[in-house]
Amino acid sequence: MWFSKPENTKPLGLVIFFVTFIGIVIYVYGSKKRSDQLESYRNIPFIDDEEDTKDKQ
Amino acid sequence: MNFNFKHEWIETNIGLMAVLTMLAISVGGLVEIAPLFFIDKTIEKVDGVRPYTPLEQRGRDIYQREGCYLCHSQMIRPFRDEKLRYGHYSLAAESQYDHPFQWGSKRTGPDLARVGGKYSNEWHVQHLIAPRSMVPESVMPNFPWLLTTPLDISDITDRMMALRKVGVPYSLTDAEYKANVARFGETVAKQLHIPNAQQSLIEQANFGNYDGDRSGISEMDALVAYLQVLGTMVDFNKYKDDAFVNDR
Amino acid sequence: MAVTTYSGAEQYNFEVVKKFGVMSIVWAMVGMFVGVYIASELAWPFLNFDSPYISFGRFRPVHTTTVIFGFGGSALFATSYYVVQRTCQTRLISDGMASFTFWGWMAVIALADVSYMLGYTQSREYAEMEWPIDILIEIVWVTYLILFVGTIMRRKQPHIYVANWFYVSFILATALLHTFNNLAVPINLFSMKSYSLFSGVQDAMTQWWYGHNAVGFFLTAAFLGMMYYFVPKQAGRPIYSYRLSIVHFWALSFMYMWVGAHHLHWTALPDWTSSLAAAFSILLLMPSWGGMINGIMTLSGAWDKLRTDPIMRFMIVALSFYGMSTFEGPMMSLKEVNALSHYTDWTVGHVHSGALGWVAMISFGSLYHMMPKLWDTKMYSRKLIEWHFWLATIGIVLYIVAMWISGITQGLMWRAFDQFGNLQYSFVESVAAMHPFYAMRAIGGMFFLTGMLTMAFNMFMTIRQGKRESAALEAKLASKLAHA
Repeated sequence: MWFSKPENTKPLGLVIFFVTFIGIVIYVYGSKKRSDQLESYRNIPFIDDEEDTKDKQ
Repeated sequence: MNFNFKHEWIETNIGLMAVLTMLAISVGGLVEIAPLFFIDKTIEKVDGVRPYTPLEQRGRDIYQREGCYLCHSQMIRPFRDEKLRYGHYSLAAESQYDHPFQWGSKRTGPDLARVGGKYSNEWHVQHLIAPRSMVPESVMPNFPWLLTTPLDISDITDRMMALRKVGVPYSLTDAEYKANVARFGETVAKQLHIPNAQQSLIEQANFGNYDGDRSGISEMDALVAYLQVLGTMVDFNKYKDDAFVNDR
Repeated sequence: MAVTTYSGAEQYNFEVVKKFGVMSIVWAMVGMFVGVYIASELAWPFLNFDSPYISFGRFRPVHTTTVIFGFGGSALFATSYYVVQRTCQTRLISDGMASFTFWGWMAVIALADVSYMLGYTQSREYAEMEWPIDILIEIVWVTYLILFVGTIMRRKQPHIYVANWFYVSFILATALLHTFNNLAVPINLFSMKSYSLFSGVQDAMTQWWYGHNAVGFFLTAAFLGMMYYFVPKQAGRPIYSYRLSIVHFWALSFMYMWVGAHHLHWTALPDWTSSLAAAFSILLLMPSWGGMINGIMTLSGAWDKLRTDPIMRFMIVALSFYGMSTFEGPMMSLKEVNALSHYTDWTVGHVHSGALGWVAMISFGSLYHMMPKLWDTKMYSRKLIEWHFWLATIGIVLYIVAMWISGITQGLMWRAFDQFGNLQYSFVESVAAMHPFYAMRAIGGMFFLTGMLTMAFNMFMTIRQGKRESAALEAKLASKLAHA
């Protein structure tokens, strides 16, 4: 069978994973709006600090 | 169907993320490990390799127990210096009955894959009790208790049964015994027969007298018996120099 | 109870975090002491004292298990429980399960150490525990997975913070690795002894698939999770690039699993397997350095913190060592380099530049950040943190340099030929040549251990101080109430 031969599946695997990788990179860096959205998550570790201080007040 | 992929699904759904992570981490292992079980060439066809006798296997257990593998490898690489120092490079077939493998990862001491027959039994015994009395620069620990501790042979049958379960051809039935006679010869087949285990262990220890003390069977007997068989099973004189090159 | 002082006490389960945090320091002292001891045994073999229980071969797994799983593991449990609660703003779903993971994990380490000294070992490096302990690990680990994932499911944030991704992939990968590497048949149900299911080549491949991924997921991915939370917190500024962290995560998770076979270059393992592993090892440099850059750049614009904040210095030096050893690793996976470096002390040095430089240093930084917060106080002594930092750094440098020199010397001596084409050195000449470096390594280890002891003292005083402060506050409140 076609896919049982390593000389066929090796390049196929390479293409699949390379495309997936490029896909992730394009997804992550592709759009300005999405970039802003993603970068907003940087602040999650700091959210509960504010709550802490609110509690204390 | 409106297929609109969003990484957000993954970011916000721990189940989906776990599945995809699992997928990502499984590929590498599958591709590299699974074929080793199916490709014929993984283990070369070579004559002479046999399972360990009960005494040798007990010696191997002690080798493992004392952590010898942490300083001694059993895997000779195909380099000129290693050939001169240790002998022919190790074949996959030579460790096919090794549960677990003892290839090691560090040579604080020398490789032991072909140490069998290189030194006398007396040398081994003295070297194990007090390494620096034989090799002054050695940093090996002393193992004096091996000579004073009697070998526990009560569970030898259990041990061989467990090894049989994981694929070592120790024989239990007559049919298996006959198959072993055909494969390894009668002398060896007798030693691999589980119902005979204790008896053949005692016979080998008494006949070999590895620790030089006939009053009983010590752990030293077993360990030296194991060391003396290492790397001796394959007769490389029967093969041409490059016989195994293509298997690599 | 004083509600105002313990804003987090009811909201979060910090009890289990405290316990794991303290025990990580205890195990670190034990494990590093044993490490110094076995290093000294190699330099001065009389230290084996003809005792089976502490002879090098049985004692070495005690060292590796206690530092990796005792110290590293406890630090990961502590920080992961802390991070997942604080970034999801929710309490762990079950206090009972949390407590079970604590006692279970402590039992695993204690039982493993004792059983090694008694001579029970599977002889699989970093997985020496025999089958009953393996089963206990499996149970604890599945509980950990359920607890961690369950807590994430209860989060108040729609988004799962990236540190948690790394922790999840570490938990999943460890479960997978542990299960397959420990497949064995016990000789009977009342014996600790078992024989591995696989033999020879397949067994070696399974073991090093485990062995390197224990490094990849236990000692790297998980500690990156730690890094992604504690570096931004300590620096007081968010991670440099969140997008980079996503790419970092997927690339690292995918690639690491391929590289284990580079431990088996030139062996009886088929050549294609180890070559493929080497190729992925080289590729792995990119996500590794991506993560390092992401961590270090978090500090951009606040570099002065490196001068003023010793905790920050621990973290940044950890990332630098991470960068260095993830460069050294791929280089050593090249077949030509490996031919020289394999079987020598170079490997040992490489492991320790990762383990001491990266894993231990990032853990120290995170613990110094986290522990005072848990007891609602400040570190007892800043000066002692400075001392710890320098003792640790000097210790690592001594250690690595000793191992580089001895490793390369060994490798070169083994392959040296004289003018007649014979081997120039006998094996034991190479052993004799190692002596000064083994002594130097032991001294480096002592420096590192001394630093660890100052940390333990500092932590002990900090916790005492925290308890006193909260007791004083409570007394004050009580007297106020009495007067009112």
